[in-house]
Amino acid sequence: MKEQKPKLKLAVYWAAACGGCCVSVLDVHEKLFDVVAAADLVFWPIALDFKYKDVEDMPDGHIDVTLFNGAVRNSENEYMARLLRKKTKILVAYGSCAHLGGIPGLANFFTGEEIFKRVYEESESTINPEKIRPQHEYEVPEGTLEIPVFFNDVRPLDRVVDVDYYLPGCPPQTERLLEVFLAIVTGAELPPKGSVVGAGTKAQCDECIRKKTENKLIKKFYRPWEINDDGESCFMEQGVLCMGPATRSGCGYRCIKGNAPCRGCYGPTADVIDPGTKMMSAIASIIDAKDPDELEKIISDVVDPAGTFYRFSLPSAIIRRKLL
Amino acid sequence: MKNCRIGVYICMCGTNIAKIVDVESVSKFVSELPNVTLVRTYKYMCSNPGQEMIVQDIKENQLNRIVVAACSPNMHERTFRGALRSAGLNQYLFEMANIREQCSWVHDDTKEATEKAMAMILAAIRKVELHEPLESMSVDMSPNVLVIGGGIAGMTAALELADAGHSVHLVEKNAQLGGNIARVDLTAPYLYSARDLLTERLTRIRDNKHIKVYYGSKVINLSGYIGNFTAAIQKQNGKTGTNHDPVEIHIGNVIVCTGYKEFDASRITHYGYGKLPNVITSFELEKMIRAGRIETKEGKVPQYVAIIHCVGSRSQEFHTYCSRVCCMTALKYAHEIKSANPKCYISDVYIDMHAFGKGHEDFYLRSSEAKTLFLMYEKNDRPVIHRAGPKDDCEMLIEVNEKLSGELIEIPADLVVLMVGMEARPDSAEVAHLVNISQDKDGWFIESHPKLEPVATTTDGIFIAGTCVAPKDIPDTVAQARAAAARIMAKISKGKIEVDAVYSEVNEDICSGCRFCNKLCPYSAIEFNEKEGHSHIISALCKACGVCVAACPSAAIKGRHFTDAQVLSEIDGLTQTIQYVEP
Repeated sequence: MKEQKPKLKLAVYWAAACGGCCVSVLDVHEKLFDVVAAADLVFWPIALDFKYKDVEDMPDGHIDVTLFNGAVRNSENEYMARLLRKKTKILVAYGSCAHLGGIPGLANFFTGEEIFKRVYEESESTINPEKIRPQHEYEVPEGTLEIPVFFNDVRPLDRVVDVDYYLPGCPPQTERLLEVFLAIVTGAELPPKGSVVGAGTKAQCDECIRKKTENKLIKKFYRPWEINDDGESCFMEQGVLCMGPATRSGCGYRCIKGNAPCRGCYGPTADVIDPGTKMMSAIASIIDAKDPDELEKIISDVVDPAGTFYRFSLPSAIIRRKLL
Repeated sequence: MKNCRIGVYICMCGTNIAKIVDVESVSKFVSELPNVTLVRTYKYMCSNPGQEMIVQDIKENQLNRIVVAACSPNMHERTFRGALRSAGLNQYLFEMANIREQCSWVHDDTKEATEKAMAMILAAIRKVELHEPLESMSVDMSPNVLVIGGGIAGMTAALELADAGHSVHLVEKNAQLGGNIARVDLTAPYLYSARDLLTERLTRIRDNKHIKVYYGSKVINLSGYIGNFTAAIQKQNGKTGTNHDPVEIHIGNVIVCTGYKEFDASRITHYGYGKLPNVITSFELEKMIRAGRIETKEGKVPQYVAIIHCVGSRSQEFHTYCSRVCCMTALKYAHEIKSANPKCYISDVYIDMHAFGKGHEDFYLRSSEAKTLFLMYEKNDRPVIHRAGPKDDCEMLIEVNEKLSGELIEIPADLVVLMVGMEARPDSAEVAHLVNISQDKDGWFIESHPKLEPVATTTDGIFIAGTCVAPKDIPDTVAQARAAAARIMAKISKGKIEVDAVYSEVNEDICSGCRFCNKLCPYSAIEFNEKEGHSHIISALCKACGVCVAACPSAAIKGRHFTDAQVLSEIDGLTQTIQYVEP
């Protein structure tokens, strides 16, 4: 009998996430057989019944690869990030939230207190006349119950622990995950630590087949439903904000293929220091107006600028939250 | 940054800096910063001993970065870069902190100014730590020159270059050379014949084998960069209506001498130009003088001639500037009319007599002695011209609120000469766009420095001369034309042109071809490679303004010497909290 190569030990964990990233892992479908042929899944809360204690009991560096999805929103997320870092050889920030902070990161425009007030007191579906709030510790006859502490900040994984690779996307394309996984399994040479894997080096426009000309000047911004998209011209040239020019390729420009502008989930290209500012600066450069009033008017058509330009990246920006 | 050995020099600029900024405290603060090997203060860093100090220190202390805190880099960046070069250090490992214009000159509080100077120097240190040695490139320089416009400026420049053996392409829109001077009789103040000035030049141009004149032609396209331009010249359709094939030429430099257009006098309605037959413009009078007979429309010799100054000039409504030549030309007319008809009464109606040039005051004096009546009017209170009544012995009457006497004076006139000013040609915007230079609010072409670079423009290799830059007289025009030719000859004689190492470049591995930047470059330095699908910057054309760097959504464009990392580090230094305690 042929000698079996020792199987990889693989973990998948979700922190402040929607679950989409875990589903993207499940989306390997029948390829799962290839995965389990090469790897043992030693921890994956969404699919397998392992406890935190099982991880705590593992020797350090026991896990070969952890796909960590979700941002760090509370003390539990932080604890697990630190724990998994200790137990893992290759820690991958998987998906937009772990990579840049993601959609939950937009909560950084508010403080923890503002969020609790809204959620537990003011929201339209809440009736809470006693204004009961979650408490970190609660005394019951059996002892003290604890729930995680809610932080003021949402942080991407690399602001908490050292990260080996980033696999971007909301969620990452399953094909890209498989490519990366197979590269690890086959022992291919891995890129330098800190690299973004499973994505291109150029922006979306490189792959996007919509026709791009030099006529990029914008007189008016439109939302997608306001134009009669010809399906062929660059969205920007039709006045529709598309994050594609500032966003890494790798997803196969799926949103644009579906006639929706890119939202930017694959994050910025390599040398960008602050993704939102980069795109804002780019947009500001092509607005076709010199008169301040006209400029103001054109810009006012951009609905929710912060949410547009920082949709996935606020916690990793230079100014990463509302001033406390 | 590892192995940084920074030398910091704080200039007192005499007392310019030192009287507000506590230079010694700044020095002490800087000496305690990481990576700073030595700090010196000195009275005048830009002086020879100041520069020599830097050279010595680099050699003796193995300094590998230099910061000079002094005046504006516009003033002395080159000076200090030179010091680095003489010490064998790459000149870009240098940064200036402008603690004079941006600090001592604009503050009067020592505490504030000193803290600011400290922050600015810290910012410069943080930036210079990340500087990289850069090497300048050199490109070949074509010795051929394109001169656009065949007036006195263009002709002079062409001759100057051709006499030195360089090949000149002289493009003139009209069927003959000469421009506006060909429309003039005598010139002020020495009354030389304009025709003589021209004829001599025309003959020399005709006989010079290095000058090719393109009559009735236009430059329709210009591409490339200094040393390596390609121009397309097309003969314009005459009456035939046929399209001529453009001629393509290769040149290294271009001189634009497209001249001016005279102000359209009919725009000032109450002078009646175009309605009153004997209200004429200065150029129409020139025509009469050249024809040898000054007369009214009716063919009579005028008894009374009135000359009105500043028609279209020095007015909020039309042009705010002075056209510079009209005052002397008006005096010249007085002289010419008087010579033709000594009995003629001449009134000269002016706002101020601008007699600033060489020999002009003497000319003014001579004209006053020739019994010209001078009447001064207020800028915003223009004289009014009426038709005279049947009993008057003249054609028209001009009402002037005479400023010096304070009286309303009525003067007779058979002929009124309007001294029309100069304005930018209607096609000047087209020309500016063609050669990629800028225009001011009045349409005149902008020089790269109004005092020190009067014939250069912000586009390397494009020079401007004569009245397309601003109104000026013949001597100034000729001087500019020769200056432009001399500038070009200096460049040609080097054979190569150094291109500043500070420019923007596209990282083609990152550029996705989104084309945001393509049309933004004010110097047309960006081209798009359709085949490869990425943009490219012609470094020889780039002026490192940074517009494309800011516009690039994927950070594929990097501004050398101003990288994001360098600028952020600089900002970080600038925003540190620094407390100055008075010693």
